[in-house]
Amino acid sequence: MTREDLQSGFKPEIILLYCRRCVEEEADLFIAAKATSRFAAKLVMMPCTSKVEESHLLKLLAEGADGVQVVGCPYQQCQRLLGNLQAERRIEHARGYLREIGLGAERLGMERGLHFSGLQLLLLAEKRAHAVRPLGPNPMKGERIP
Amino acid sequence: MIIAEWKPLSELTAKLRGHKKILLVGCATCVAECAAGGEKEVETLAPLLRMALHKEGHPAEVVTRTLERQCEWEFVEELAPLIPQVDAVLSIACGIGIQAVAERYSEVPVYPGVNTTALAIREEPGLWLARCQACGDCGLGETFGICPVARCAKSLQNGPCGGTRKDGKCEVDENLECVWYQIVKRAEARGQLDKLLEFRPAKNWSNSLHGGPKRVLREDLRP
Repeated sequence: MTREDLQSGFKPEIILLYCRRCVEEEADLFIAAKATSRFAAKLVMMPCTSKVEESHLLKLLAEGADGVQVVGCPYQQCQRLLGNLQAERRIEHARGYLREIGLGAERLGMERGLHFSGLQLLLLAEKRAHAVRPLGPNPMKGERIP
Repeated sequence: MIIAEWKPLSELTAKLRGHKKILLVGCATCVAECAAGGEKEVETLAPLLRMALHKEGHPAEVVTRTLERQCEWEFVEELAPLIPQVDAVLSIACGIGIQAVAERYSEVPVYPGVNTTALAIREEPGLWLARCQACGDCGLGETFGICPVARCAKSLQNGPCGGTRKDGKCEVDENLECVWYQIVKRAEARGQLDKLLEFRPAKNWSNSLHGGPKRVLREDLRP
């Protein structure tokens, strides 16, 4: 994080959606809203990343999240066979829309892996926070319709 | 099914700018099957529109509803309580559904959110191909169940043009089969190639797009 970021006070709010199969058991105990001095994260467990729909991701952003990170299993290791690939395609499709409306495709991303601890999940949330920092706060934050 | 595609988001926001509360209406039938206008697409487009309009400096509330069929008056009636609360409607049903809503609720502007494209079949996941043009004079019985009106780039009625590629594809699009090549293959497989030599009277195109608005009237079904 640069000195400018610290001075601006922008602390990205990241929603992290993770597949329950790619974390260690005790990671569940860790799941909660977490805040550090650099970003805030809310971690949400899913049965499989195939359950992620574009509408879910876009709604989270429309409600003011600065970024959404989806965490799924590695290629060819999805217990539901193709769930993580479907998630990847939907995320890429939704990123196209974000690019089209000028909100920034980087607000949305996916990471893969297995046996993540709670702390490692937080690091993945921080990775998304780092990606969205150049975009600035989500303009939808505190949306008011006159 | 009737297939459709979303209009570009910039075209939608250009129409919706200035409206404060928008009703986004989908249809759970054909356009849901082609992933353009069902409940899932309604719930995807709504947050996108909110974000796009906000980004352009025209924030608006977007409420959603998906009707079972937007081309049936009984279902269109379900919108009645919502209409007085909104100042515009965006419909992502086919052109029939959009017109039904616009006719029933003529007091509010109703905008199309999709371009209605064709009558098509889902060939494989994510790919829809036109199969019918509603030409009003079906000749599938003579062409072994394959429609040259909808599926031939030139709508040729009496055999292929000279542009069929060696692999049986269409000269206009290398990804499309030459439909007359398909017809001949099917006739051959049935041992009925000679059927294609039979005289066919000229097609009645007056029932197609050229003959004015179409109607079907069944006195036995009328009230």
